[in-house]
Amino acid sequence: MKHYSDLEYLKLSKWQRFGYRVASFFAGIPKAIWNFIKRIGLLLKTIALVVANEAKDIWSTFVQGDWKTKVSYLVMGFGCLARGQILRGLLFLLFELVFIGYMVVTGVYWLRMLPSLGIQGPMKEYNAIYDTYVTTYHDNSFKILLYGVLTLFFIIAFLYTWRANVKQNKLAEQILRAGKKLKSGKDDLRSLVDDQFHKTLLALPMTGIIVFTVLPIVFMILVAFTNYDGAHDGYNNNLFTWVGWKNFNTMLNWSSGNKTYSATFGEVLTWTLIWAFFATFSNYFLGMLVAMMINKKGIRLKKLWRTVLVMTIAIPQFISLLYVSKMFAKNGLINLFLLDHGLIQQGHELPFWENPTWARITVILINIWIGIPYLMLIATGILMNIPADLYESAKIDGASGWQQYTKITLPYMLFITGPYLLTSFTSNMNNFNVIFLLTGGGPTNAALSTAAGNVGHTDLLITWLFKITTGEEAQYYLASVVGIMVFVVIAVISLVVYNFLPSIKNEEDFQ
Amino acid sequence: MAKENNSMQRHMGMRAANAISNTLIYILLIVISVIWLIPFVFILLQSLRVESTWQVGYVVPRQWGFDNYVRLLSTNFPKWYLNTLIMALVTAVLQTVIVLCMSYTLSRFRFKMRKPLMQFMLILGMFPGMLTMIILYRVLKDLGMTQANAVPGLILVYVASSGMGYYVSKGFFDTIPKSLDEAARVDGATRAQVLYKIILPLAKPIVIYTILTAFMGPWGDFVFARYISMGTAAGMNVAVGLNNWLNLDQIGNNYTMFCAGGVVVAIPVTILFMCLQRYYVEGVTGGAVKG
Amino acid sequence: MKKTLALVLAILMVLALVACTPAGATNPSTPAQSGTTTEQSGGTTEQKNDQPAQQTSGGELAGTYDITVWCADNIVDLTKKQIEDFNASNTDGIVINATVEPVGEGDAATQIVVDVEAGGDIFCFAQDQFARLVQAGALSKLGVAAAEMVKANNDPDSVAAVSLDGDLYAYPLTADNGYFMYYDKSVVKEEHLGSLEDILADCEAANKYFAFETNTSAWYLASWFFATGCKSDWTTDSDGNFTAVNDTFNSPEGIIACKGMKKLLDSKANLSASDGAAFASNAAVVVTGTWAYSTVAEILGDNLGAAPLPSFTVDGKTYHLGSFNGFKLLGVKPQADPVKAAAVNKLAQYLTGEKAQLERFEAVAWGPSNLADLQLDAVKNHPAISAVMAQKEFATPQGQIHGSWWNIAKVIGDDVAAATDDAGLQKALDNYKEKIDALFGLTGYIFVGAWCNWDNADASMLMKEADGVLTLTLDVPESDYMGGRIVVAGEWGTDYGYNQVTTGKELLNPDMDPSLGNNGDNNIVFAAAGNYTVTCNLTTGEITIVKN
Repeated sequence: MKHYSDLEYLKLSKWQRFGYRVASFFAGIPKAIWNFIKRIGLLLKTIALVVANEAKDIWSTFVQGDWKTKVSYLVMGFGCLARGQILRGLLFLLFELVFIGYMVVTGVYWLRMLPSLGIQGPMKEYNAIYDTYVTTYHDNSFKILLYGVLTLFFIIAFLYTWRANVKQNKLAEQILRAGKKLKSGKDDLRSLVDDQFHKTLLALPMTGIIVFTVLPIVFMILVAFTNYDGAHDGYNNNLFTWVGWKNFNTMLNWSSGNKTYSATFGEVLTWTLIWAFFATFSNYFLGMLVAMMINKKGIRLKKLWRTVLVMTIAIPQFISLLYVSKMFAKNGLINLFLLDHGLIQQGHELPFWENPTWARITVILINIWIGIPYLMLIATGILMNIPADLYESAKIDGASGWQQYTKITLPYMLFITGPYLLTSFTSNMNNFNVIFLLTGGGPTNAALSTAAGNVGHTDLLITWLFKITTGEEAQYYLASVVGIMVFVVIAVISLVVYNFLPSIKNEEDFQ
Repeated sequence: MAKENNSMQRHMGMRAANAISNTLIYILLIVISVIWLIPFVFILLQSLRVESTWQVGYVVPRQWGFDNYVRLLSTNFPKWYLNTLIMALVTAVLQTVIVLCMSYTLSRFRFKMRKPLMQFMLILGMFPGMLTMIILYRVLKDLGMTQANAVPGLILVYVASSGMGYYVSKGFFDTIPKSLDEAARVDGATRAQVLYKIILPLAKPIVIYTILTAFMGPWGDFVFARYISMGTAAGMNVAVGLNNWLNLDQIGNNYTMFCAGGVVVAIPVTILFMCLQRYYVEGVTGGAVKG
Repeated sequence: MKKTLALVLAILMVLALVACTPAGATNPSTPAQSGTTTEQSGGTTEQKNDQPAQQTSGGELAGTYDITVWCADNIVDLTKKQIEDFNASNTDGIVINATVEPVGEGDAATQIVVDVEAGGDIFCFAQDQFARLVQAGALSKLGVAAAEMVKANNDPDSVAAVSLDGDLYAYPLTADNGYFMYYDKSVVKEEHLGSLEDILADCEAANKYFAFETNTSAWYLASWFFATGCKSDWTTDSDGNFTAVNDTFNSPEGIIACKGMKKLLDSKANLSASDGAAFASNAAVVVTGTWAYSTVAEILGDNLGAAPLPSFTVDGKTYHLGSFNGFKLLGVKPQADPVKAAAVNKLAQYLTGEKAQLERFEAVAWGPSNLADLQLDAVKNHPAISAVMAQKEFATPQGQIHGSWWNIAKVIGDDVAAATDDAGLQKALDNYKEKIDALFGLTGYIFVGAWCNWDNADASMLMKEADGVLTLTLDVPESDYMGGRIVVAGEWGTDYGYNQVTTGKELLNPDMDPSLGNNGDNNIVFAAAGNYTVTCNLTTGEITIVKN
C-alpha cells in the first residue's frame, strides 16, 4: 500500500484518514508478526544472557567472598547474622528452614505425583459383618495438581530468595570494604514507610492476587490438558490424568471430522461479539443522551431523575432480572396485557423468549435498562467538566445543537472514555448475569444440541462455560478450554484496539 | 432598528424552541422513569400481595398486607441477611484498604516493576473468573471455610483479588496534582505521612465510591456463594437463599416471599446510594475516565 | 528494606501449606479389616462377594452419629421429626444427630457432584440424576439385606429405577414423579377429557392456554412418542457409563407422534410451561406432576380437576398420550467407616419405609412407592395421586437415560413446530437420529481405515452398531508409505481414549519393521492389503480384526 508522509496525511479527509489507518494497520500485520518473532528471539537471548550472568555472578561471589559468604550458600542468612543484620538474617534462615521442612513433609510427595496425577483411585469394599459397602479413598488428583503447582511456585520463590541472599552477601561485603556501615534492622523497618513504602502497600494486595487469582488461573490452564470431569473427579470415582492437546483438538477440530465443538464455538463466539458490540454502544450513546437531557440547563429535579435511574444499580440483578424475564414470557404480564386489550390475538403472542432473533433483541434492550444508569453517572461528571466557553464560542459561531454535539461533546467524551469503552466491551463479553438470569441462554439451538452445555441462541461464551461445568457430564476440561479461548479472544481485541488508541500508551499525559 | 428587531425575534424564537425542547425532555424523562421504575414497583406490589403466594397474571394485589414480610422472619432469611450484611461491611472496609493501597502505589510511585505489574494484571483480568471458582472452592475447603463457615471464606475471596480492580481509583489519584506530594516531601514528611495527611482527605469521593461498590457486591452474588455454601443454609447469603425459593418445588409457596426478600435486600443499598450519590458520581467520573 | 516483606509473606504461605498435609502421603491404603476382602486393579476397584447373605447383621451399631441430610424444603420439618422417631424406635441403639438442610431434588446432584465429601450423608434426588450420581461415585451400593428389603416392599418399577447392572444404589422415596393433567373444570368439559382435540377446542374457545412443556423439555415431549409405541432404551455398564441405545423415535410411528404434537403446537392455546402457577396466568390445562398439587388446588379451588393425559387422533386412529413414570430417590453417600455406613443405611431404610412414606403422603401429598402404602384408600383416592396412577397404565418406566438425550430430544419440539409438511417432520426425526448416532460415535469407536498419513482420516466410516457390537468391513489398499494401516480409535474429544487392539496382531504386514507393528499409543495396526472385518464389543471394549 501507498505510504503517506505526514503532510499528505493531513490533507486527507476524515474518512480517508480512518481508511488509511485501518489499511496501514492490516498492512502492518506481517511486519508486526515478524517483529514479534524477532522480539521473542531477542527475549530468549536476553534471558540466556541474564541466566549466564547470574550464574557467573553467583560463582564469582562464592570464589571472591569471605567465609561468611561461603557459608551463606548453604545456610541462608548466615552472612547477615554474622555481620550483625539480625532481622534479615533470621528471616532468611527461617525461610530456608520452612522450605526444607515443607519439602520433606509434603512437597516431595506432590512433586513426585505431579506427572501421573495419582496412582491409586478409591476402592469399594464389601463389609460382610455390617452388610454394607465402604469406600476407601486414596490419591486425590485435584489436590496433587493444586499442591503440585503451589510447590512449584514455592520452589521458584525459594530460588529467588536464595539468590537475594547471595546478593545481600556480596553487597554487604562491598559496603564494609568501602568502610560504610550496614543498615540496621531499625533502618530496614523505617524504610518500609518511606523509600520502600510501595512495597508495604503492595504486599497485601499482591499476596491476595497471587493466591486467589494467579494460582487458580494457572490451575485452570492446566486442567485444559487433563480429563478432569464429573466421571473423573480425581478422588471420589476415578483419578484424572494428563491428555495433552486432545481437548483443544475437540474444541477447535484440527484433525478430526467431528465439527460439533468448532461449529458451536464459532456460533457462540459470533453472537458474543455481536452482543458485546451492541450492549456496549447502545448503552454508551443512550446513557450519554440521558445524561445530557438531565444536565441540560433549565431542567429541574436533576437529582430525582438520577435517583430513579440509579435504583437499578441498587437492587440486586438476580431479583430484578428474574422478574423482568417473567414479565416477557409468553404468558407473562406484557403479553397478557396486550391480550386483554385486544392488541394481539391468542396464538400470536410476542415471542420474546421463544424466537431466537426476538430473544437476542430483547436481551440487548433489557441490557440498556441495566446499563444506562452507570453510563449516565459517568457521562454526567464528564459533561460537567467540558469547559463551558467551548459551547459559548460555538454558539456565537452559530453552531446548532447537533453540531455542538458532534464537534465538541462527542469527541471530548470519546477521547476521555476510550479506555472505558474497551473495558466495557470486554466485560460485556463476560456479562454472565444478564444472559443467565434473563434467558438462561435459550431458546435452544437445535443445530448445536450434541455439544456439551445445551447451547442456546443467546448463550455467551461465559454462560456456555458455566453450563458445561454444571452440566450432566461436568466437563471441566472443556470449560477450561473455553476459558482459555475467551482469554485469547479478549487479548486479541485488546491488542487491536490499543493499536488504535494511542492515548492509552501515554499514561502520563493525563496527569 | 430592523437588525435589532430581527435579533429580538431570533431570541424569542430560541426561547420558544428551548421551551419546546425542555417539554420534550420532561416527557422523555418521565417515560424513562416509568420504564425504569415499573419492575421495582411491581416487585413491591407482589410482596404486599396476601391472597396467593405464586406468580399471577395481574399486578395490583387484591388483598394487601405485610404477611410475606412476617413470614420471612420464620425462615432462614434473617440468618442469610445477617451473613450478607457482615460480608458486605467487612468486605467494604478491607476491599477499600486494599484497592487504595494498590491504586495509590501505582499512581504515585515509580519503581522498576510498576509497568510489568500493571501489564500482568491487565492480562490476568482477561481470564474469565467463572472457572476459578472450582479451585477456590477447594482452597477454601482446605482452609475450613466452606459450608457453615462460608462467610469468612467468601470475604476472603471477595477481598483477596480486589487489588485487580484498581483502575478507577488509580485514575482518580492521577488527577490529584503531584506537586502536593512533592511539597510535603520537601517539608520532611515520609511517604506514609503524605498518604494519610494529604492524599486521603482529597480522595474522599473515591474512597466512598470504593466502599459503595464493595458493599454492593455480596448482595447479588449467587453463583460463587452457592458453590461455597454448598447446600448449607447457615452459610448462605441472601442471593443464594432467595434463589432456592425459585426451585420448582418451592416457587408456588414462596414466590411472594421471594419478592418481599428482594425488597428488604434492596433497602440498605438504595438508602446508601441516595445519600452518597454525589460522591459516587465524583468518584466514578474522576476515576473511570482515566482508567 | 529489600525482600523483608516478601520473606515474611512467603513464610506465612509456607506455614499454611505445611498445615495441609496430603491424605495420600501419610496413610497408604488401610489394611483390610476382618471380614473384608479387597481386589485392586487400578482405577476404581471393587470387591465381589459370592456368599454374603449368611453373615449379615453381625456388627454392633449402637452409638451416636453426626450426619447431614439433604431433602426438599417442604419436608425438612417432617424429616427432622422422622429422624427423632427413628432414634426412639430403632432397636440397635443408634442415635442419629442430624442436620437437615433444604436442598431441592433437582439441585442435589449438581451440588454433590462438585464435592461428594461435602454432600449430605443422605440426600434426596430425582431419578434422572441417578446414572450421573453413580458415575460420580456419590452413591453407595446397598448391602444384600437392604437390597432384598427394597425389592420386597417397593413397586417393581421403582426398584428398576435404583438398579444398575443388577445392583441397587438408592432407596425409592416416591413413585409419583410422573406427569398428568390438571384442568380447570370451568373451562374443560368433563366429557371432553379423553380427547386432546376437544380439550384444545375448549381452551381456544375460552382464550385460555393448554400448558404442556413440549417445546422446551424432553421429559414432557417424550409423551407423544410413547403414545405411538416408540422407545428409547439405554444400556449402561456397572460404572454408570452408557454403552448402547435402542431408539425408535425415527420411525413411521415417530411421524405419527409428530403429527399429534403438531396439533398442539399449531394451536393458539399452546403454552410451553409446566408450573402450577400457570393457572394464575391464563392457563386452563397444565401438564405437570403431584408437586404442583397444593398450588393448583389453591388457585382453582373447586374447579380443580386432575386426569390422565388425553388421546389424540391421527389418520383415524387414536393414541393415548404416554408419559415418563419416574421416581424420587434417596441416596446414601459412600462412607469410609462400615459402622457408620450401616447406621446411616438403617436410617435411610426407615425414611423410605412404609410409615415414613405414609407420613410424607399425609403431610405433603407425595405418592408412595411402598406397596403397602399404595393399597391404602387415602392414597388411591387423592386426586393427584389417582391421576398419576391412572396415567401409569400408559407410562413408560423411566430407566437410565443418557444425559445428552435430554438436550438432543428437546429440540424436536421446535423442529416440528417449524415443519410445514411430512417431509419437515421426517427431517426433524432425521436430525434427532443423526445426533443420537453421533452420540454413540462419541462413546463407541470410529474406525478409520487404511491411511497413509494423518490427513486422509475418514470419519464417515462410522462402525454400525447392533446388539452392543460395532462392526465394519473395509478394504485396506496397497500402500507405498509404511504399509496399509488400520486405525481404531475412540473419537477425538472423548475420554475413552484409545482402546488397544487386542487381537488381530497376526495380521501385521509381514514386511513391516516389527517394532512399528503395533504402535503402543495409537492402536494402529499395520495390515497387509486385503478385505477386513473389524468388530468392537461395546461392553468389553475389545476390538477384533479379522481378514476375510
